[in-house]
Order: sequence, then structure tokens, then C-alpha cells
Amino acid sequence: MSVRRYLQGVFTLAEFELRKIRHDTSQIWLRLVQPALWLIIFGTVFSQVRGISSGPLTYRQFMTPGILAQSVMFVAIFYGITVVWERDLGLLNKLLSTPVPRSAIVLGKALSAGVRGVFQAVAVLGIALIIRVRLSLDLQSVLGVFIIIILFGMCFASLSMSLAPIFRTRERMMGIGQAITMPLFFASNAIYPLSLMPGWLRAIAVVNPLSYVVDAMRALLVTGDFSSLGRDLLALLIATTAMIVLASLSFKKILS
Amino acid sequence: MASNEIIVQNLTKDYPRVRAVDDVSLTVKGDEIFGLLGPNGAGKTTTIRLLLTLIRPTSGRINVLGIDALSQPHKIRQVAGYVPQDVSVDGELTGYENILMYAKLYGLPRRGRREAIDGILDLLELRDRAHDLVRTYSGGMMRRLEIAQALVNRPKLLFLDEPSIGLDPGAKRVIWGLVRKLRAEFGTVVFVNTHDMNEADLLCDRIGILDRGRLVTVGSPAELKATVGGDVLSLDSRSPGFLEHLKALGYRPLAESPAGQAEILVTDGEHLIPHLLESLQARGVEVEGVALERPSLDDVFLKYTGARIEAGDSWKEARRTRRTFRRMVQ
Repeated sequence: MSVRRYLQGVFTLAEFELRKIRHDTSQIWLRLVQPALWLIIFGTVFSQVRGISSGPLTYRQFMTPGILAQSVMFVAIFYGITVVWERDLGLLNKLLSTPVPRSAIVLGKALSAGVRGVFQAVAVLGIALIIRVRLSLDLQSVLGVFIIIILFGMCFASLSMSLAPIFRTRERMMGIGQAITMPLFFASNAIYPLSLMPGWLRAIAVVNPLSYVVDAMRALLVTGDFSSLGRDLLALLIATTAMIVLASLSFKKILS
Repeated sequence: MASNEIIVQNLTKDYPRVRAVDDVSLTVKGDEIFGLLGPNGAGKTTTIRLLLTLIRPTSGRINVLGIDALSQPHKIRQVAGYVPQDVSVDGELTGYENILMYAKLYGLPRRGRREAIDGILDLLELRDRAHDLVRTYSGGMMRRLEIAQALVNRPKLLFLDEPSIGLDPGAKRVIWGLVRKLRAEFGTVVFVNTHDMNEADLLCDRIGILDRGRLVTVGSPAELKATVGGDVLSLDSRSPGFLEHLKALGYRPLAESPAGQAEILVTDGEHLIPHLLESLQARGVEVEGVALERPSLDDVFLKYTGARIEAGDSWKEARRTRRTFRRMVQ
């Protein structure tokens, strides 16, 4: 199996995910409801309260990268359910009968989730612009944000794929998806800064990949302070690699 | 020289609580349609998955077209086509895209790819709907598309797991015709799993009967039916002394009924009937009705396994899955 064939397998899976999005965009719009509520209602109310010190930023500027990351996280974690659904239908069985290596299939599925995440993010950014959140949307920032989103989407899709063989049914995966995403969201710097957290929560937040993703996107989209961008990207890269390896190892079990 | 056979030796697959495949040995010859017949849970799907290298055997050897399954699984996958029992096409993509995706996964060169796919779509008579989303297809069309998808790498052998499950009789016949055409035109080795006696009888050149993981017998449908014994001929007659005349001709009725009916065991009943009627008429016996019952594969199955194949709940389940799939994506 040459490198070229391996990558062809990975990119083919992502390409056809893109084609699915093109055929039917309804999922993106439906998944836009929740981030819209956070930005418009929660954001508006908390801007009035001024209970959260967001420094020189407006509260909406502060929270937009957090909501962006949250919506990508939801897309990615529920992508694992799609994989379980595909297993139940038999699509996965068929996919495994091709010469494409297992790990390329995992990587391809993860990349597909990343691609979906980008489209979701564009929609969320659209809402942020409509409600006039001031963001720096130059080419480099946007490209940087997209790369981060793809990596982050791959990270959480891989996490959910490694959970799929354990929880097995779609219903349980739905439950576990929520049990993971909401705590991670609250134990991060998405909607309040780390400085406001009690010590134990901050301890969780610093090992939470979401914090690094939010920090990096906040630097690119709002503050322009890139001093911790390297650290953020490294943390994300380590988490994503670890999850992909984990998912590749457990993927065999998803069929049995 | 590359072999064109599937050779299985002492194949066993154990799962924690059950031995799914139990010491199976068999050879499938080139350009033959081989059917594995058995009830649900007999180990048919496990056997196909072992041959396709999707799972590893507990013990035993598999050689497919001269390729050893244990040491070179990816080579087998490259030359095999697989139509699983479950759904294998994505309702969210068009028919064309479903095939294109697999063309890319099998690494077909870009040059000539479109022509190859169009050719396959033509063969399966799906060309005019190729650019519609698959969720709008009927069950028979979906099955045809699944076969098309399995042909994209020009497989030298094709595995079909319950190819006609959940299809109406017309659609079944279309699928069988296609499979025969493939064998005739490309010399493809076809390995079919089925629980459908009719399908085994009409489609397959040779059949293996699988019962609780064990291969109990192998042979052509005619050979297998011959092992059950001859045809059963039922004769109705109200002529006096009917049974005596029959006995005088050298036949021994199996069962009698008061209305004057006799069942006799014969060989080649089809050609015997005219002669028998003539002989009886010469003796003045008026025959009012004749029925010929030839042994079915169900009788064969009964003989070798002591049970009849029944369409159990799992088959209904499989059909329901297909219907649910279509309903949910529509």
C-alpha cells in the first residue's frame, strides 16, 4: 500500500462527505439554532450584566470563539453516531471490504467531521457578523481558524469513534455525547476566563483541549495576541494525534 | 499460473460463546456460481467475511485465486467484489457518486474511470437514474446499485450475501439474470449465501448446505435432490380394483386414501406418466387426476439437517432494516 493510495483513501472519504453536504445543507442550519441562542440571548444578557470581566473586549467578542468551538465540538462528537449508524446499516462493513487500510478509514472519517465543522463554523461566523460582533477576518486569521477547526473536529470525531465500540448503540452514543460535550464546554475558557474559575475547575480546564482551541481562535479572530498560539497548536496537535491513534486501535472492535 | 479457485481447508471460527464456522473444507471452481444454503445463524455470513479477510479464522487455511488470505489479505480485497446482506449504498449520495467513491477507494486510474462507471450503470440499467439521490431509489434499484458498486474494481470473484432478500419476485429474477450474465461475460467466480431454496435451486451450479457451522453436503441441485429419492406421483381414480391393478404393474402405493388415491415413488416421473396411464387404461382403469411432486431442496435440507429452513424473525428484521432505511432517508 503506497502513501499515495493511503492518502487517496483518506481524501476520498472527505470528498464524499463534502458532496453530501452539497446535496443537503439542512443539518448545518438545524445545528445553527443552538449557537445562535448562545450568541444572541446569552451574549446579550451577559453583556448587560457585566459580571464577567472580558478585559478590553466586549463580552460578545470574548464568547464568539468559544461558541464557534462549541458548535464544532458538537458536530464532531455526534459524527461518531453517524459511524455507528453506518455500521448498523452495513455501510461500514462494505467500506472495510476495500483494500483501504483501517487507519486510513478512521483518518478519512475524522477528516470528514473536520470538513463538516468548517461549514458549521462559517455559518456561526455569519451569525456573529449579523449581530455585529467585531472580528478580524483577514485571510490569514480565517485560514488559521479553519485549520484549527479541522484538527479539532478530527480530535473529537476520533474520540467519539473510539467510544463507539464501547457504547455500541446510537441511543447510548447520543447520551455519552452530551455527557462529554457540556462538561467540557463549562470546564473551559469558552464563555468565561480561566481567572474566574475555582482552582479545581481551572485544573480541569488546563487539560481540556477545548481551552487551547478557544484560546487560539480568540487570538486569531479577536485579540491579535499570538504569544500563546504555538503552545495552543501544539496541545491541539498532541490531543488530535492521540485520539486518532486510539480510534484506529479500537476501530476493529466496532464491527464485532 | 494463477488459480481461479477458492480453496478452503478445515476452516473454523470461534466466538466467545459459539463456534460460528466448524471445520469447513470446500473448493469453488472457476466460473461457477456456488451457493451456501442454510438457515439464519448457520454461519454463512461469517464464512463470507472470512473469505473476504474481514475477520481472521481461528484455524484453517483459505486460498483465494492463488492468494493466501492470512498473509496477503489486501490482495484478496483488491480482486474481490462484495454485496453485503445489509445496505451498502449511501442514500445521501447519487447512484453515480456511490460508484465513483468506490472507484477511487479501489484506486482506479482517472483515465477511463467515467466510461467504466457508465458501462457498469448501463449493465445494471441504472444509467437514467444515475444522478438522482439513492434515497429516492426502489429496493430493487438499490440492490442493483449495490451490485454495480461491487463490480467497480472488475472483481475476479464476487461475494453476494442474500442477494435477493426483501425483493419482490420480479426484482429477484432481474438480479439472478444479472449474476448469470456476469459469470457468462467475465468468467467471474460467484459465491452466494442464501436461505432461499428457490434462489439456490435456480441460480447456483453447486450448493453447499451449512448447518450450525458445519458443511453437511455439497453438490449440484440435481445431485442433491437425487439423494432424497425419486419423485412422488399421486394418482386419483375411482375405478374398482385400482390399487390392485397398480400393484400388478409392479408399483407399491405409499399412502392410501378412501377416495381412491395412491402415491407411488418413481424415478423420472415426468416421462413415466404417459406410459403408466397407458398401461392402466389397457387394464380398464380410469385415472381422473395425476400430480407429480419432485423433491425440493427443502427435502434435501430436511434429510441432511433434520429440520426445515424457516423464515425466522431475523429475516423479517433484515427486511425491516431496509425499509426503515428508505423511510428514514426519504
